[in-house]
This record gives sequence, structure tokens and C-alpha cells, in this order.
Amino acid sequence: MGGLIYLYGLIPTKEATNQSFPTLKGFDGEGDLYTIHIGKITAAVCDLDAENYSEESIKDRINDDMEWLQEKAFHHHETVVNLSKIFTIIPLKFCTLYKNLNSLETAVQSKESKLMSSFDLISGNEEWNLKIYCDDQLLKKQVSQSNPTIEAKREEISQMPKGKQFFEKKKLDKLIESQLEEEKNKISEQIHLHLREFALKGNVKKNWGNDVTGRKDNMTWNGVYLIPESKIEVFLEQLQHYEKSMQKAGWQFEATGPWPAYHFSSFS
Amino acid sequence: MQPANQTNGKINLDPDNAEHGLAQLVLTVIELLRQIVERHAIRRVEGGTLTDEQIENLGEALMNLEEKMEELKEIFGLDDDDLNIDLGPLGSLM
Repeated sequence: MGGLIYLYGLIPTKEATNQSFPTLKGFDGEGDLYTIHIGKITAAVCDLDAENYSEESIKDRINDDMEWLQEKAFHHHETVVNLSKIFTIIPLKFCTLYKNLNSLETAVQSKESKLMSSFDLISGNEEWNLKIYCDDQLLKKQVSQSNPTIEAKREEISQMPKGKQFFEKKKLDKLIESQLEEEKNKISEQIHLHLREFALKGNVKKNWGNDVTGRKDNMTWNGVYLIPESKIEVFLEQLQHYEKSMQKAGWQFEATGPWPAYHFSSFS
Repeated sequence: MQPANQTNGKINLDPDNAEHGLAQLVLTVIELLRQIVERHAIRRVEGGTLTDEQIENLGEALMNLEEKMEELKEIFGLDDDDLNIDLGPLGSLM
């Protein structure tokens, strides 16, 4: 046994020594998690057998064994979430492995000051994710009915001969599509800027496609926010307000959190 | 009529329902060709080389084709998402 060290997250040593560390099963389901103090920073880790968890075998399993990947990714996430309930934690990416104690210590020591600033940033704050979805069909109707340019163009087309109407309608459809995208971005951005007022930081992530979300409506915004604990309530209230006033127009809001601060602390 | 295969982008060639799966496949190919022709025609019209009469004839033909396609989709219980194939990393066919 032994060999590799699997790193879940980094905790301020002050907190790690003040509170008892919970008993949590490690990545292989056999050993337990334990801590390694590296100066002001403490690593939450578990041991892994170097033969069973070589870089190559992990890569193969990530690519070929979906069941294993799902189980282990869930384990990593659950473990980090459990730790984040007790400690200020800089979460590490799935499958962050070190060859030995020395390499882990060197990596942590070389970034000590950056890591300490990250602790300061995330301590007392929570990471929340907001996904905004929009029913394109509903919004398209509103866009095409409320826009005088589109209305005028439609009137003009109705006077044309049938064949020409076909091409002009296609052009108009394109115009409506682009107006729709503009409108979606404009509204989402306004909401984002408003919500950022309650957050310390707010970042925009890539929207997910429908194949990932499994939904019929499209994702129009995917944002992450680092919010002071004292402002979470008002942040969520604002969201509820948006939801109530915009639901009928085809908008849906999905806020999740608190998450370990994956987007506001980096060890890479 | 049974609703079309709900898993987006996959052609349903279940042996018990092969007829329906085949119709979906054939309509997908026709729809792809129709869209290619339509885009090409729009480019020609925008290019300004066609006479008003040619534009009128082309427009009417494409409109009829589009209407026919809608009818066929209704007959076979298919919607736009069913006439699209997921090409994996390349994205969707249409």
C-alpha cells in the first residue's frame, strides 16, 4: 500500500488544528482521509496504491469506465463538500495526485502566499451558481411583436407576390433570430450586473448545450458568484423576484449552492 | 401514430418499428437536401443574377416543398429535432 497521495483540498492550518478532522473514507474506499500540515497550510489527503492508480490506468478509466468515473467524481465532490462545511477549503480538481510527500510539500510551499490570499478571499463567503434558461419560442414571439422594424417589414412582405414572400420571410426570420439572441444576452447581462452588486466577485462561464442540460429550453447564462454569507439571503430574494416577474415570459432561474469555491480559488 | 424517437439525434431502427425508423431516416436525408437547395437558392437570389420571374418561380417551388415536408413530418409524427442527426464531436447534422 502507499505510494501516491490524493489531494482533496487545502485548509488553513489554524482551522485544522482547532477542530477535529472528520472520519471520511478515501478514494479507494479502504483507507481514511488524513491531514498533512505544511506550515500555515494543511492538506486533506488519502493514500493510494501506486500500481492500481497509475496515471495511465486512471486516464483509461476516465475515458472508458463511465460507472467508475461517476462513482469517483461523486466521491470527490461529496468529500470536498463535507470538508467545506467544517473548514475554509481550497478545493482541488478531481484526481489531483502527488508521487510522494516531498512533491506535495514543494508544490504547496511554492504557492504559500497565493494560497493564503485565496483563504482570505473565500473565508466567510460562499460560491453560488446561477443558470438562466429561456424559452426561445415565447421570447421570439415577444421580440417579433414588439419590434416596429419587424412589424413594418412583415407588412411590406404581405404585399409581395408569393414566391418573393418566401425569400423575404426567410430573411426576416434571420433578423428575428439575431434580435432574439441580442435580447437574451442583454436581459441576462442586466441581471448578472445587478446580482454582482451583492457579490464580491462574479464570473461568466460557458453556457451548456441542451445535450448536457437535458432540457428543452436553452441556457442563456451560466454565472458563478462569490457572495458574503451576510448577503446570500438578499441575493436569493432578488432571484426569486426575477423568477416571479419573468416566469410567464419564458424565463427560468436555477441557483445552486453553496459550492466549494472551485471558481474563486486556484492551486494550478 | 407513435411519437418519434425522443432521444435527440438518434435514428430509431428498432426491428419491431423498422418502418417508422426508416421513414425518419429518409425524411432526414430529404430535409438535409431541401435545406441545402434552399440555402443555395437564397444565395442566388441575394447575388442579384435572377430575374423577378425566376425568383418568383423558385420561391413558390421552395415554399411548396417546405409545406410538403411539414405534412410528411405530421404524418410520421416527427418534429424538427427528430430530423437531425447527432454527429458526436462534429455537432448536429442541421
